[in-house]
Amino acid sequence: MFKRLIVDWAYFLNTSDAYQKKKLFFYNLLENSNYKYKKYFDLFMIILIFISVVILVREVKSHVDDSLLFFNNYIISIIFFIEYMLRLWVISSVTKVIIEQSEYDAMLGNEFQVLKPIKEITKVKVKYMLSVKAIIDLLAIIPFFHQLRLLRMFILFRVFKLFRYAKSIQTFTSVIAAKKFEFLTLLVFASIIVFVSSVLIYVMEANNPDSPIDTLFEALYWSIVTISTVGYGDITPTTEAGRTVAMFVIVAGIAVFSFTTSLIVTAFTEKLDEIKDLKLIDDIAKIKEFYLICGYENLSKEVAKKLSINNKVIILEEDPLKVEQATKDGFVALNHDPGSIDSYKKLRINVGTQVKAILCLSHSDVENVYTALTVRSFNKDVFILSILINKINRNKLNFAGVNELFYEKKLVGVIAKEFVGQPVAFEAIHALRSNYNGIDMQEIIINDRVLESFVTVGQLENKRYRVVLLGVYKKSKKRFFFNPFDSIVLEVGDYLLVIGNGQFIDEFSNYLHKKGSK
Amino acid sequence: MNEKSALIFGQNDYTFEIQKSISSHYENIHVLTLNGDDEFGFDLSDEWDALSNIVDMNDCVVFCILEDMAENIFLTISLRDTFKELTIVALARDKESSDKLILAGASRVLPTISTTANVIVEMLEKPIITEVLHNILYEESDLQIAQIKVENPDMFEAKYPADIDWSRDHGIIVISIVHEDMSSEFIYASKEKHHIIRSGDIFVVVGYAQDIKDFEKLIGSRCE
Repeated sequence: MFKRLIVDWAYFLNTSDAYQKKKLFFYNLLENSNYKYKKYFDLFMIILIFISVVILVREVKSHVDDSLLFFNNYIISIIFFIEYMLRLWVISSVTKVIIEQSEYDAMLGNEFQVLKPIKEITKVKVKYMLSVKAIIDLLAIIPFFHQLRLLRMFILFRVFKLFRYAKSIQTFTSVIAAKKFEFLTLLVFASIIVFVSSVLIYVMEANNPDSPIDTLFEALYWSIVTISTVGYGDITPTTEAGRTVAMFVIVAGIAVFSFTTSLIVTAFTEKLDEIKDLKLIDDIAKIKEFYLICGYENLSKEVAKKLSINNKVIILEEDPLKVEQATKDGFVALNHDPGSIDSYKKLRINVGTQVKAILCLSHSDVENVYTALTVRSFNKDVFILSILINKINRNKLNFAGVNELFYEKKLVGVIAKEFVGQPVAFEAIHALRSNYNGIDMQEIIINDRVLESFVTVGQLENKRYRVVLLGVYKKSKKRFFFNPFDSIVLEVGDYLLVIGNGQFIDEFSNYLHKKGSK
Repeated sequence: MNEKSALIFGQNDYTFEIQKSISSHYENIHVLTLNGDDEFGFDLSDEWDALSNIVDMNDCVVFCILEDMAENIFLTISLRDTFKELTIVALARDKESSDKLILAGASRVLPTISTTANVIVEMLEKPIITEVLHNILYEESDLQIAQIKVENPDMFEAKYPADIDWSRDHGIIVISIVHEDMSSEFIYASKEKHHIIRSGDIFVVVGYAQDIKDFEKLIGSRCE
């Protein structure tokens, strides 16, 4: 009966939307650094930590208001305790383990063994509790027992909690951790030097009445102060033998100091690219909308240049040399394979919401097919445009899910036709396309604001603004009306297609959107 | 472009598309292959006498579409050196080769990368405009673009182009006007009134086939 209740309870929680939503919310808040509200939570915790430390420092020599002490000892501690418990909760799923075990037992035809999942859950939770971060969290709660004065010192452990909240500290520790072995070697070397020099200086100086070194602790203190190149000068050797030891320690100290510095610098240099990439990925995750160009060739450069005037553009390219070139050209380029799902996961690109369109502009149909298929395998809706290099591959690209195919050779053919047939018209269209002499062709969308003042085409007065109205695209009918009659009624979502000087078009557009224009 | 023949220098993917597109404009279209062995083969050695056996070079347009830009520029400069009046249309990859081809004497340059980039960006940023232009250029709808030469300027009574209601009076839209000195001007290029319509001006118009025909009858003739 009891076992049955546990399994039912596990299933209930596992299928409860409210429970899962709450758990996901707390997980994101505590552990997911990409969650947009996490930074506010982290900031709040950092403020609490600083308040704690300020109160501790103030308390040393002055009286601190009781309410502040209460806040420090109880409120902050309780908040930290709640945080600790929440972390313990979200770190693993209890219900999942129970369900897995019950299903496993059911499959084998055995009775549900309740102890096994409990053991496993305990193992995971205890493992977490014994992690350095969790221990620091726990010690930071201890000042709650403020009656024990010594325990108040544990407030300082709250400072260590900063490691959790400040990203730059995390970066620094990860850089240092990458050189763990070298730092360990250095520590062993420095420890041996300190040990040997402490013993030596003690043996040489302790029996000399003029020497300030009387105890082994003083010898150890002197060794550390000297090897660190700090050298306070409060304790100095007086015998010749002692000074010889000092010279030895000073030289060793310089070696240790320079070795440490070079280690940190090397670690940072090695990690610099990675840190930059991580920063870039973070920045990309914050962009609301962008075009994703896959493959960096001459055409990609031109397209990126034109698109980036009004949009954000990200380039994905597998070849590091081309990535370098794209970066030099001033674009955001990432050295990732656009044909790998893993790339999109690592870059945390949300293709569904962030990407306006994916442009497969590699000079290889094979790569473009591969990229299009990769994207289609996890997103059915995003708009994919691809160039076609060899027209026998047209069907393959269509099959791969490309929405719009672009065959450059056909375009050249059409341009040649226009040129030989109607060179003046060709020039006019070419001038329009390339925004020559400021003449442009633009779409103006009709929204509620425009409709408040203008109901029909005849009311638009485009001629007054020296703008040619080529036609109206009616959204409801999905049809373009060339040279529309004055009586045509405008609707929300319609587009006006206008030609004119860019500035005149802007003036016209502003006039349309200005309330009470009519 | 009133030439009867066209010569296409270069045998590649562009050749087929260009040949297909211009076939209705020329009586003869010949494709010449670089270093080919037959009579339609050519090399870059400046020996162009054999060309006269194929077509009348005074009544011919040439397309230089070699994919190697250095060779294409060399071919263009070589043809221009021999045939001073020849219309040469050359394929360029980027702006750099486009500039060099113009220096080499090409009459018109088809810049592939910048044109392709323009069209791709238009497709994404202005999809409706792209569709409309596409339909006009490919003649996939009833809309057409045409250039019409003014032979009867009196009917405009010395009016300025911007003052005439083309769309209501004639059912067409005038985009730009090319003057006799070949300087082109957009119909509403500025707020100032510049130019009175004269004989010999060319209008670039967009409209339905019948309206364009009626307009042609009214003011002059279609300019091919």
